[in-house]
Amino acid sequence: MASLLQPDRVVYLVRGEKKIRAPLSQLYFCRYCSELRSLECVSHEVDSHYCPSCLENMPSAEAKLKKNRCANCFDCPCCMHTLSTRATNIPAPLPDDPTKTAMKKAYYLACGFCRWTSRDVGMADKSVASGGWQEPENPHTQRINKLIEYYQQLAHREKQDRDRKKMARRRQCMPLAFSEKYGLGTRLQRQRPGAPISSLSGLSLKEGEEQKDITIEPAPALDEVEPLPEDCYSRPISLPEVTTLRQRLLQPDFQPAGASQLHPRHKHLLMKRSLRCRKCEHNLSKPEFNPTSIKFKIQLVAVSYIPEVRIMSIPNLRNMKESQVLLTLTNPVENITHVTLAPCEDDDPDDINSTAKVVVPGKQLVLAGKDAAAEYDELAEPQDFQDDPDVVAFRKSNKIGFFIKVIPQKEEDADVTVSFKIRHDFRNLAAPVRPSEEGGAAAAPAPAESIWLTHHVELRLGPLAP
Amino acid sequence: CHFPSVKIAAGAVVCVESEIRGDVTIGPRTVVHPKARIIAEAGPIVIGEGNLIEEQALIINGYPENITPESEVEPKTMTIGMNNVFEVGCVSQALKIGDNNVIESKADVGRNVILTSGCIIGAFCQVNTCEVIPENTVIYGSGCMRRVQTERPQPQTLQLDFLMKILPNYHHLKKTVKASHNAS
Repeated sequence: MASLLQPDRVVYLVRGEKKIRAPLSQLYFCRYCSELRSLECVSHEVDSHYCPSCLENMPSAEAKLKKNRCANCFDCPCCMHTLSTRATNIPAPLPDDPTKTAMKKAYYLACGFCRWTSRDVGMADKSVASGGWQEPENPHTQRINKLIEYYQQLAHREKQDRDRKKMARRRQCMPLAFSEKYGLGTRLQRQRPGAPISSLSGLSLKEGEEQKDITIEPAPALDEVEPLPEDCYSRPISLPEVTTLRQRLLQPDFQPAGASQLHPRHKHLLMKRSLRCRKCEHNLSKPEFNPTSIKFKIQLVAVSYIPEVRIMSIPNLRNMKESQVLLTLTNPVENITHVTLAPCEDDDPDDINSTAKVVVPGKQLVLAGKDAAAEYDELAEPQDFQDDPDVVAFRKSNKIGFFIKVIPQKEEDADVTVSFKIRHDFRNLAAPVRPSEEGGAAAAPAPAESIWLTHHVELRLGPLAP
Repeated sequence: CHFPSVKIAAGAVVCVESEIRGDVTIGPRTVVHPKARIIAEAGPIVIGEGNLIEEQALIINGYPENITPESEVEPKTMTIGMNNVFEVGCVSQALKIGDNNVIESKADVGRNVILTSGCIIGAFCQVNTCEVIPENTVIYGSGCMRRVQTERPQPQTLQLDFLMKILPNYHHLKKTVKASHNAS
């Protein structure tokens, strides 16, 4: 059954700041700390910005200037699909000879999904294929820019005061540029609630420039409000004319209520992010810079280091009756791995979700290494592992199938959950090379040590048989 | 006795691999691709000019709920106008279709729907309500959202011309019969 292979059936526990249970495919493994990490216990850093439709890379400074939007691509205001440029031939008078007409190309934007065109909102056809389309101006831009400048200056002043206080306290003087360079990346500068806004201070003026005092007038309060139109209550609503909330809120500048005022906006940029372990500051995931490449420079995902448990088949589960469930264990590394399973203790603090007792095989299971060339090597002798047929159902290259016995404890259980501990040996190839005591020129690499890792695994086996 | 036959006007291109059953009239400049199916069970079908019926499209004038009634029911004619496009894999049972409509791939149009002109039924949308779709309506998306466009979709003249030239090079065509003649 394909539903048994759903990723959220088997979850591994991550012991970080928060206890997170996630499937192995969504976890990372820091091989310097030898621990599992989830997305919540790593720090995310922006690597690069790119446009999802034209795949154009954009440096971060330029992205910030363009408000994180692509210069060439547009989004349909109706269905948020990418707009494509279409051309038509229209007869237009030649510039030299007004009496003759020649076919000129006129371009308009059209959406392939909902058939919206730029002519629907009254945008005239342009004579150039790209670069002719403008977004409408926001009437409040000037006021907003002035406010931003004022607050930038305020933030800069506050930061200077803070740094001055820090410098006065410390003996060694931290150069002013230090706190500016390392913005929100390191943990020192992370935003604490109540602290002054330091994010804007990164955009402030250079040190040497004169800072003129910017004053702003407070927004005037009006006594009279524009009255509603006379036929507000009596006019019948034409539903196709009214924009949906989603369409309206995608353009927060204007929030048009009528569909004839929905102008297309430039496409949002997406970003590539790299992940970093918070404890040892090593990179866990670093994608390639090129937007067209999906590979990673560093990819320390958990599925390539930790053996993965999957559910293969579940018999009918009955309350208080023992049934055998078939699980598979896959070995992702190339050397032989020894795995021991152990049930959770009675007072285990991690064991909060299980609703059934489980009896795991007590013997150590041996998994063969992953050999990519095994299918092509016909002469290789299959390794003999002396499997106990009560425990091991089958063995296939780096995978074995084994039985566990499950005794559901709860009546009317909608989802029988079992948990156990899995202990396996892990050969840490990232261990630093220890220099030999004699101080020889070429230090012999120390044999990679094996350490034992224990993980807490929870399985969801589905409802009891009726 | 009246033997229901297929009347294909001159100028229409109907491939031999298409399945046409019952009393069907096909107008000039219409292209019917191979593996298209036009089935007139519960009444005749009249197809106008300039239509494009692509592969695996199914236009069926069938009994509601596929149940053949015991007693004789008045046969209702299904009329299809001009310049319509029935894209690949769509199913159309609508009794009245106007002009310049587009039924996109794998869309399903029910029997009680009446398409006026310029309507576009998006891909995989199932429309089986009992209503008249107003002009220039676009139905799109998984929730069958609707909007009105300002202009009708253009007739696919370029595509039709191309197909009328190329299809006979690769497929045998069904013989055209002048609909006005009474004999064969």
